[in-house]
Amino acid sequence: MNNRLKVLRAERDWSQAHLAQELGVSRQTVNALETGKYDPSLPLAFKIARLFEMRIEDIFIDEAA
Amino acid sequence: MISRLFSTPKGRVISVIVFLIITMVSGGVVGFLQGYAEASGQTSVVEGRSFVWIIGAIAVVLAAASFAYGAYWMKSIDEAAQEAHKWSWYWGGSAGLGVGVVALLLSMAPASENWSVPTLDGRTDPVAYAASGAFGLMVVLLIGYGIAWAWWWFSRR
Repeated sequence: MNNRLKVLRAERDWSQAHLAQELGVSRQTVNALETGKYDPSLPLAFKIARLFEMRIEDIFIDEAA
Repeated sequence: MISRLFSTPKGRVISVIVFLIITMVSGGVVGFLQGYAEASGQTSVVEGRSFVWIIGAIAVVLAAASFAYGAYWMKSIDEAAQEAHKWSWYWGGSAGLGVGVVALLLSMAPASENWSVPTLDGRTDPVAYAASGAFGLMVVLLIGYGIAWAWWWFSRR
């Protein structure tokens, strides 16, 4: 699943470490999320959406849809 | 206090070091007791049933502490790290078990009766062979687990 995490983070001039701290995960996890190699759980996806004040479907792109 | 210790990466590293020190000190105490008893000619103490109970009790406490530590650790890490451990335990552990099964099947070959198998400390009694088998299985499981864990993270860099 693709996502816009890297773009959204860059727009806010945040480092991966900062985003990781905001989300309560490791920097490695943020990297795995950004590269689309790890899909977050629903609770984490909601947390990300709340942090960026966006809807989940505006951050994560379901390629199958 | 423990949950606070586990809440940061640095705290988790410290907790690992503390846990390793505790296990090494426990092992050291048993080794010292055994060494002291043997050096002072009290071999009956080491060979007696009470010494088995002492080692058994320490082993059970350490196993329980390890499990509790593992539970705290697993709950303290984030979901991707948890997923890595679960994935590694299934795939790496299964692969390790597969190696163990090969060894088990090989042991059923009649010719294997004459094979010389190394044991942990060179002993050749049944208990030593059983312990070596358990240790060997643990080693292949952990090797499989370690490789799978490294693969999981490496492929998600």
